[in-house]
Amino acid sequence: MNPPLRDEPGAPLLRMRGVCKRFDNVVALSGVALEVGRGEVHAICGENGAGKSTLMKILSGVYTPDDGEIHFDGELVRIGGLAHAQALGIVMIHQELNLVPHLNVAENIFLGREPRRGWFVDRERQREDARACLQRLGVDISPDAQVDTLSIAQQQMVEIAKALSMQARLLIMDEPTSSLGEADSMRMLKVVQDLKREGVGILYISHRLDELDHIVDRVTVLRDGQYIRTLDWAATSIDEIVSLMVGRELNQQFPPATRQPGTEVLLKVSSLAREGAFGPVDFELRRGEILGFAGLVGAGRTEVARAIFGADLPDAGEVEFGGQRLRIRSPRDAIAAGIAYVSEDRKAHGLAVKMSVAHNITLANLAEVAGGLGFIDAARERQTAQHFIDKLGIRTPSPEQIVRLLSGGNQQKVVIAKWLFRQARLIIFDEPTRGIDVGARYAIYALMDQLAAQGVGVIMISSDLPEIMGLTDRVAVFRQGRVAGILDTRRCSQQDIMHLASVAATEATMPPAAALALS
Amino acid sequence: MNDRQKDLIQKFAALAGLLLLTLAFSLTSDAFFSVGNAMTVSLQVTSIVYLGIGATFVILTGGIDLSVGSVLALSGVVAGLLTKAGLPVSAAMSLGILVGALCGVVNGLLVTRLKLPPFIATLGMMLVARGVALQLTDARAVSGLGDAFGVLGNGALWRIEEIDAQGFPNVVFPGIPYPVILMVVLAIVAGLLLRRTTLGRHIHAVGSNGEAARLSGVHVDRVTMFAYIVSGALAGLCGCVLMSRLVTAQPNEGVMYELDAIAAAVIGGTSLIGGVGTISGTLIGAFVIGILRNGLNMNGVSSFTQQIIIGGVILFTVWIDQLRNRR
Repeated sequence: MNPPLRDEPGAPLLRMRGVCKRFDNVVALSGVALEVGRGEVHAICGENGAGKSTLMKILSGVYTPDDGEIHFDGELVRIGGLAHAQALGIVMIHQELNLVPHLNVAENIFLGREPRRGWFVDRERQREDARACLQRLGVDISPDAQVDTLSIAQQQMVEIAKALSMQARLLIMDEPTSSLGEADSMRMLKVVQDLKREGVGILYISHRLDELDHIVDRVTVLRDGQYIRTLDWAATSIDEIVSLMVGRELNQQFPPATRQPGTEVLLKVSSLAREGAFGPVDFELRRGEILGFAGLVGAGRTEVARAIFGADLPDAGEVEFGGQRLRIRSPRDAIAAGIAYVSEDRKAHGLAVKMSVAHNITLANLAEVAGGLGFIDAARERQTAQHFIDKLGIRTPSPEQIVRLLSGGNQQKVVIAKWLFRQARLIIFDEPTRGIDVGARYAIYALMDQLAAQGVGVIMISSDLPEIMGLTDRVAVFRQGRVAGILDTRRCSQQDIMHLASVAATEATMPPAAALALS
Repeated sequence: MNDRQKDLIQKFAALAGLLLLTLAFSLTSDAFFSVGNAMTVSLQVTSIVYLGIGATFVILTGGIDLSVGSVLALSGVVAGLLTKAGLPVSAAMSLGILVGALCGVVNGLLVTRLKLPPFIATLGMMLVARGVALQLTDARAVSGLGDAFGVLGNGALWRIEEIDAQGFPNVVFPGIPYPVILMVVLAIVAGLLLRRTTLGRHIHAVGSNGEAARLSGVHVDRVTMFAYIVSGALAGLCGCVLMSRLVTAQPNEGVMYELDAIAAAVIGGTSLIGGVGTISGTLIGAFVIGILRNGLNMNGVSSFTQQIIIGGVILFTVWIDQLRNRR
């Protein structure tokens, strides 16, 4: 499955074939092919986790591929590191900017490559060279301005100027407009077109499919780390790309639903908002229901969940839980009310990884295993831990095992056990199967279904559409901090969700059958 | 090999090192291995242990307390001045300890409310407390505190004396000094608290992963405050004991003691990143330092050379610890 060769003179700027990358037995990329010509803008499309960033990191020298070849400028290369990639002329502009805020623009552009005069930095030349780079971009930024005084858009431009100063021949742009407003986005796209005219190859990653229209020549679609297809932009449509992106059928094993969502509303969120993050957001969750939160990374799903849990406080809005208005000022309040949050980043937010399985399971409910004076009943604690280890099938040599040494799936089960022991009535799962192998996923899905069957309300944030389709009763689709629509899972398709999530609101066409009005 | 086994090995390594030191010094110095010297070493080690227990609490939460050396001076001086002013010794010392605890409260507030890095917060307190101690006394020692002030530091339990034929007292057993008894009691209480209680568990959780602890409903700020208060109060106690031993309140006492305390904790396997550490380890660490000092003294090693050796021991044990933690 090679991308079609273009009838250009000479070899393309970049050509990759059969590129593979594994992390601890998890296949991140397999057999990926890619070709970028001089002066071509080539978009990479794929869902979260499709392997886009792994691919970019291979090109920019952060990762070395396990297999496959990369030809750059007609020559077979082994990119040995960031410096090597830059020497070749491959420069990546990261989504999160990598500038040093306290240095000025010129110093940032030439960081690590300062022009010298004797032992000293040739500041005059540095300033002039920086000015030249900025002029080439046609932007009006002083080389002497301190970077933290610049707007995000200007910083983005400085990053590009930096890339130009390295004589970039292939520029990799990861979501370059994600943090820009309309006007700045347009300028950005104009710069891209200028660079294209100068013969720079550009790899462009963006979730905003509509903006690709102005600039892109070809599109390569990745899915689950696999190369799917390369298309000429002129000969394709957003619909086709979306269907290729989500193309996976429901081939994963999902447990049969045993739950019967009730009618009683368990959680009612009204006009919840936090400035700069999300809102206003409205939705309801019934007892025994699994509600999916779909959307792109950065759409505000996690932020909403954290606000309900009290991890970050909202600015406005109301949360009603079990018929009562909640005043949540900290996770303690939420936990006391019966709300639990299983974070997407287990190691950072979910587990005390240096502590044992037993100690993690009881952490949120220590009082339950402690007697008078706060002395922990070691026997009772061990018993409790063993009970959940058996119940959830946590594979650990003993309850005393340090959590860090368990596999991802088992760590996740430890987090879930913690909240089961706390007898939570609402559990919010944030990307519950991220980094967990397929086998262990089934058990976690089954567990979520069981919880719902027992009347627990479940919210599942997931970027994995098949998972949303296979497990949820309804799905709230987030886009740019708001709920773009709530769909009945049985009556909508992955394409419907993807559309709602990635296409601007005016263009969103929700199939009437799929739209579910909430009263 | 799982972590628990590794922990055991490390603890035994420290313990074995301690026994090895004892053996070596017993062979090189006749006076070293005796009941009298054992009591001397224990007595010398007490202050490192008091402060080391506090350091263990704070370091477990992922913090550090550099102020204890100064806080002990301030507390001791306060106890001394109040005694001089006519307060009963017990009340004066209690208030001295309270002053130490208050310094801990301030440290805790600086860390939890103002979000200052613990290193900076307690560095500031280190200067402030020392300054106040010097100010209160005009940098002079406060003496003439009376016999009662010296009981805590110099008294001993089960001291056995005989009057010999000439009518002179003859010490059969020197007794167990009060500071040593206090040390044992404190170590047991602190050990139980850390190992067996919910509070102790929360302290570990905060240091292991503060955010996970917060999201599990742990009062992270309160737990952190508690650790600094324990450290401050123990520094206060340490100050009272030290000044009592001298029967003089010395505003210059305790300089650099914080480093001994931290060293004891670290030699005992406490991780400076937080979340890992035990009181028993800290005890061993304190005795390693104490026995090294005592033994080297008896062998006529100069105090300068002692510093070099103890510095080397700290680097060596921490390096071992790093090896253990490397995956």
